[in-house]
Amino acid sequence: MAISLTESLQIGVNDIMMRKVRSLITVFGIVLGVMSIMVVLAIINGMNKSTMSWMQERGGTNKVEVERNWDYDFRQGGYAALTLAELNQIRGQLPEAVAIGPSITAWGTTMQYKGFSYTDQVIGVLPDHQQMESWYPETGRFFNEIDLRENANVIVLGSSVAKDLFKAENPLGQSVMLKDQMLTVIGIMKEKAWENPGGGAFGGNALEYMNRQSFVPLSTMMNKIEAGSLIRSIQILAKSPEDALAIQKKLGPILLRIKNGRPVFRVSSAQETMQQMKQNSKIFSMIFIMIGMISLLVGGIVIMNIMLASIKERTREIGVRLAIGARRTDIFVQFLVQTVLITGLGGVFGIILGYSILDLVSGYLGMPMLAGPQMILVSLLVSVGVGLIFGIVPAVKASNLDPVMALRDE
Amino acid sequence: MEIIKTQSLIKDYLLGKVRVRALAGIELSIINGEFVAIMGPSGSGKSTLMHIIGCLDSPSAGEYYLDGDLVSKLPKSALAGIRNRKIGFVFQSFNLLPHLNVLKNVELPLMYSGLSARKRKEQASRILDSVGLSDRLKHRPNELSGGQRQRVAIARAIVNNPSILLADEPTGNLDSGAGGDILEIFNDLHKAGNTVIMVTHDRAVAERADRIIEIRDGMIHNGDLAD
Repeated sequence: MAISLTESLQIGVNDIMMRKVRSLITVFGIVLGVMSIMVVLAIINGMNKSTMSWMQERGGTNKVEVERNWDYDFRQGGYAALTLAELNQIRGQLPEAVAIGPSITAWGTTMQYKGFSYTDQVIGVLPDHQQMESWYPETGRFFNEIDLRENANVIVLGSSVAKDLFKAENPLGQSVMLKDQMLTVIGIMKEKAWENPGGGAFGGNALEYMNRQSFVPLSTMMNKIEAGSLIRSIQILAKSPEDALAIQKKLGPILLRIKNGRPVFRVSSAQETMQQMKQNSKIFSMIFIMIGMISLLVGGIVIMNIMLASIKERTREIGVRLAIGARRTDIFVQFLVQTVLITGLGGVFGIILGYSILDLVSGYLGMPMLAGPQMILVSLLVSVGVGLIFGIVPAVKASNLDPVMALRDE
Repeated sequence: MEIIKTQSLIKDYLLGKVRVRALAGIELSIINGEFVAIMGPSGSGKSTLMHIIGCLDSPSAGEYYLDGDLVSKLPKSALAGIRNRKIGFVFQSFNLLPHLNVLKNVELPLMYSGLSARKRKEQASRILDSVGLSDRLKHRPNELSGGQRQRVAIARAIVNNPSILLADEPTGNLDSGAGGDILEIFNDLHKAGNTVIMVTHDRAVAERADRIIEIRDGMIHNGDLAD
């Protein structure tokens, strides 16, 4: 005895086609709401993806870092610095680490070869540096543990350094002058490149600075080039993000023991930083989704009002339908379905508009913005949900009309 | 057999805080297959009586039997089904849905009784054929003359094969020619065995019926079956 959903849909489509302009105006708030939610989600998604790929390129989420603890009051004694001996103590206690990467940078040092000179960073590192950065020599070799033990006078050049300093000559086996040390070139690193997918103002090779670095054994740096310098920070690479967290936990007490119980170092992990970032972007998303929700709320109220007005206008039609046998549920379903159809339509328009805007904005800002199918589904569900919620009051009102009164309505 | 029987039917309205008695104890009996006219001046209660007979409204007190069933005590939800199956309405102002074509208008009661789209179309076309409108199926009501519109309304009223046909001033908005045609259709329906109840204030129209029931001040003045 009941009117089926298809009938209701048919009636709803008819009603909407009859009142095209009104339906379009009605739906505007929903279109804007859905659109803004979609655009914001896509921007956030794009930003996350872009940050993640940057992080991955820089060694991923398996990193642990030891740095000066800025919260510690150094007037109580202690230095946030390690000697080679102290470093070796740490290395001995972290066999599970894939790589340990303390580094000492000599900034703006000038390297000379046959009257040519090149000024940029020279960094003292362990052989582990290769695993640490997943970055290996293109030609020649990196220095090894023996070079390290013997404070060998060797250097590995960045690709740009090699090009600029040696031009067409083969640098391998040649000697460069750095401060008062003659260093033999034993390798040249692979070129590093990471293009920002957006290009534009942030375009170009974001990792070019790495190609301008050169490497010497940490011991050579600490004992000869920058004699008396100490290790200020250490990076540690673990097998997995979980391992990184474990190493982070283990490292704190080791450092405390070495430093006589003074918390001069802070141990952090990329995993932790990432979680922090995720937390931040969550808050950011929440704010924008709230804004979208508010516009949906306003849109919903507008729809409710227009549906109420439309029901007033169609009182007589409702009376006729009741007189020929429509039940209250039939009238209720008819108007609810119509509201849902309108908001659903608004959702579809919102998605289309959102997509076009994303296209436009991502082209303009040079930023990748990703709208996935699940976002479309969510947008659609939300708009249908708005229809269901705000359609109830008008539908109840319509279905509660008294048939005699409704038929008398002019 | 009595298709309609009422006992001490009373209907009170609240107008603000004042209680107004629209029906003051109606004893009405209509036999299956009769053609009855209900007459009375405005405010006599004839419209209220028609609404109760048509199950659009319930009495304040008294009993109303339709087709042997006591419907005066039924909840409103059940009345919708009775209106759908047992009653066909014809209104003075036709009350066709303007945005639906003729065929769809006539299909409406069948839709609410749950018939499949194909059967609805079949049945509605057949009925429209019988009132001479088979060439107007796809027209909108505003493309038809008044007489044609009322014929569509009659088709809609009888498409579900109801127990009674209730017409409220069916010729009130028509010229005499078209009105005559409509009354002729009622006459034919009556001859075919249908029960027709017509509310009118026009004596000439009322005279077309077998029996005239006159209502004044909420009571039957004359025309009771006993007369």
